[in-house]
Amino acid sequence: MKVIESLKIKEKVYIEKLENGLTIMLVPKETTNKKYVMWATHFGSIDNHFIMPETKEEVYVPDGVAHFLEHKMFEQPNGTNSLDTLMALGVDANAYTTNNHTAYLFETTEHFIEALNELMDYVQHPYFTDQNVEKEKGIIGQEIGMYDDDPGWQLYMNALDCLYKENAIKIDIAGTVESISKIDKDVLYKCYNTFYHPSNMVMVVCGNFKPEEMLEEIKKRLIEKPKQGEIKRIYAMQENSINMPYKETAMEVSMPLFMIGFKDSIEQENKVQKHIAIEILMNMLIGKSSMLYQKLYQEGILLAQPDLDYEFTNDYAHILISGQSKDPQKIQKELLKEIQKQKEQFDEAHFERMKKKVYGDYVVEYNNISDIARMLLSDYFKGINSFDYIEQFQTVTAEYTKQILQEVFDEKKCILSVIKTK
Amino acid sequence: MKNEKIEIKEGINFHEITTNKFKTNLFAIFLTLPLTRENVTKNALLTAVLRRGTKNLPSQEEISKTLEEMYGAGFDCGIEKTGDYHTIKFYLEVINDQFLPVQENISKKGLELLFSIAFNPYIEQNAFKEEYVEQEKENLKQIIEGKIDNKASYAQERCIEEMYKDKPYGLYKYGYIEDLPNITAQNLYEHYKEILQNCKIDIFASGKFQEKIQDIAKNNVEIEKLNPRKTNLEIEDKKEERPEPKIVTDNMEVTQGKLVMGYDVLSNEKNLSYIAMVCNTILGVGANSKLFQNVREKASLAYTCSSSYIKRKQTVFIKAGIEIQNYEKALEIIKQQVEDMKQGKFENEDIESAKNLIYATIYNIEEEQDTEISYYFGQELANQNVSIEEYKKKIEEVSKEQIIEVANQMKLNTIYFLRD
Repeated sequence: MKVIESLKIKEKVYIEKLENGLTIMLVPKETTNKKYVMWATHFGSIDNHFIMPETKEEVYVPDGVAHFLEHKMFEQPNGTNSLDTLMALGVDANAYTTNNHTAYLFETTEHFIEALNELMDYVQHPYFTDQNVEKEKGIIGQEIGMYDDDPGWQLYMNALDCLYKENAIKIDIAGTVESISKIDKDVLYKCYNTFYHPSNMVMVVCGNFKPEEMLEEIKKRLIEKPKQGEIKRIYAMQENSINMPYKETAMEVSMPLFMIGFKDSIEQENKVQKHIAIEILMNMLIGKSSMLYQKLYQEGILLAQPDLDYEFTNDYAHILISGQSKDPQKIQKELLKEIQKQKEQFDEAHFERMKKKVYGDYVVEYNNISDIARMLLSDYFKGINSFDYIEQFQTVTAEYTKQILQEVFDEKKCILSVIKTK
Repeated sequence: MKNEKIEIKEGINFHEITTNKFKTNLFAIFLTLPLTRENVTKNALLTAVLRRGTKNLPSQEEISKTLEEMYGAGFDCGIEKTGDYHTIKFYLEVINDQFLPVQENISKKGLELLFSIAFNPYIEQNAFKEEYVEQEKENLKQIIEGKIDNKASYAQERCIEEMYKDKPYGLYKYGYIEDLPNITAQNLYEHYKEILQNCKIDIFASGKFQEKIQDIAKNNVEIEKLNPRKTNLEIEDKKEERPEPKIVTDNMEVTQGKLVMGYDVLSNEKNLSYIAMVCNTILGVGANSKLFQNVREKASLAYTCSSSYIKRKQTVFIKAGIEIQNYEKALEIIKQQVEDMKQGKFENEDIESAKNLIYATIYNIEEEQDTEISYYFGQELANQNVSIEEYKKKIEEVSKEQIIEVANQMKLNTIYFLRD
């Protein structure tokens, strides 16, 4: 096993790529009593158009299929549900689907072997019937209804609509009632057989164990599968410009919600450095101690520090700054002014302070095993070694950060999404 | 792991939790007082005003800068309703000194900053700064109005409000807009001084410390200024069975209806909280529960259906997100699940899996710093000292007969439905 280590925060990751293509990442931690296991496939809501590796067949699948598949994986031929089986052991089990991956996970102190048996069994044995697929449509329909009522989700979807004209990230993860009506068991098996191959998957285990023993436990539970070639995924072409600068929806909220976005170009080389610089910049511009935040807080325009996010994969990259305010337009206007000001006169003392803060934020991520596992997993799908955030930290200079400010915080790439009151 | 409690002065306790599981040290100060209609809004507002400035750091900007310099120490304060008490909570989390890129002692600084936020606020002419109070009144107003934004928690709040009408637990923890005009920078400061003299004070430090953190607390100038106090927080809330459940419906623009049902558990059993916890878990916690299985899985009536047990109030709440036209059907199936509990229609495996689920939450206590602090604070408030091992043993001992007996003491008090 390959070992990567961070001396600063005293953590190690053991990495092994098996012959069947499965990547395994193990993070042993003696100070916890728990173990946290995630098994994920590189298959998310954006993967709706692809070429199957063996037949070379070009396939379009209905929106929401990755999420639908996630729901159905738990069902067993004998009528039991693996989630229930795990729960009955007191094992906290779950699954989720994102834009680019689907993950199955559990966390436990006791009954680890039984839980690992169950996880590795159900993920490797799909069981779809016409009947059980039909039934799921009702449940997922309810889930979609829940999202429709969620102002935060609508805000985000509107922001994406502003940022991208055509990009699969705009697809609702759960799909729509209409799109999921087209899902049947054949579609599910087709997706399963393509994307749930070990070479398209990664497993992360974090907690109290010995790495060699854990690797053996995993290996002996893997069933053999013939080798599979690369899955070719077809995504819409990247556009540089935004789709529209503004979108609003009226919903029953007490105060408007806003999300300001900046569309970014996709970085291939220095992803981590750029990410660190953007985090520092967002904090400098509108974080707790920034002039702008203080001003807006005193005017009653902001009640709390906005959420600051930088989301990126190999297919999209954008900054999102969101919160609640009675005057979203004013926040956007003031933010753009502040960006201009910083471009002209960069405050280095502020930069150094925010750099310290961002370092602290990264260290806190290592406080619990679920955060560690989730971070390793999502960074893996971005092609990033998570420790780089700690290790490359000092290399992010004021000079470099200024350059990122010039490049990324561009007024022409700025959008505003608003959920206004009814 | 080791939990040590020392009394600094009567009514003021310091709790040190020594643990090496984390990269951070966490400090907390809890000020606990009885929940009353008279003071509820003032307490909520006070929390917001205190975070605005200390004597030495008179603005939020300066506090934020200080926190950022300490590698982005996390500060938070808020107000919680724990049974019939109102607790003002202050938290400060710092990176453990051993994980800093350069040698520094930020834990001591962190604890001292937290003390000054809680006990040495920024004062002008024997009052809080007027500007801060007025801004925070406006902010609090918006928080209270924002209650409607999350429909599920709004429905839960409304059910509690109706079920505990005119009682402390029925109060909204952030208070009421109508109280705000009468609060001034002067009378709020008077209220604060009164609280400081009488409230129960608990200070927590969790993590691994280079020096004796207890001494830093004990010798802190803010702590030295505080007087000893008698803290009698006993509040009587006698429960009576309602002959017919109260039915309340609100209308709002929603696509999914939110149903909340409140049950009283009218029992004096000594180990009630442990038995009721197992009973509630079988009924409505997790994917194996009766509610999840029968309301969601078999009848496809809801995306969510679960129950929770409020120990301090001996109350079970059942919550479901349903299609509005399914109201009657859902109500019937939910009531049937409670009836089945009363009839003992559940298996030994159900008890086992419920207990396993509770064990998992017990094991988890030590794995999260704030959860561990909350656990020991709960023990402190209940005047108990149940260790984590004892807690697990109490759950182990719960029998089927006891569960049936407790289930039979569940009386439906209020049905609340939020619909279009």
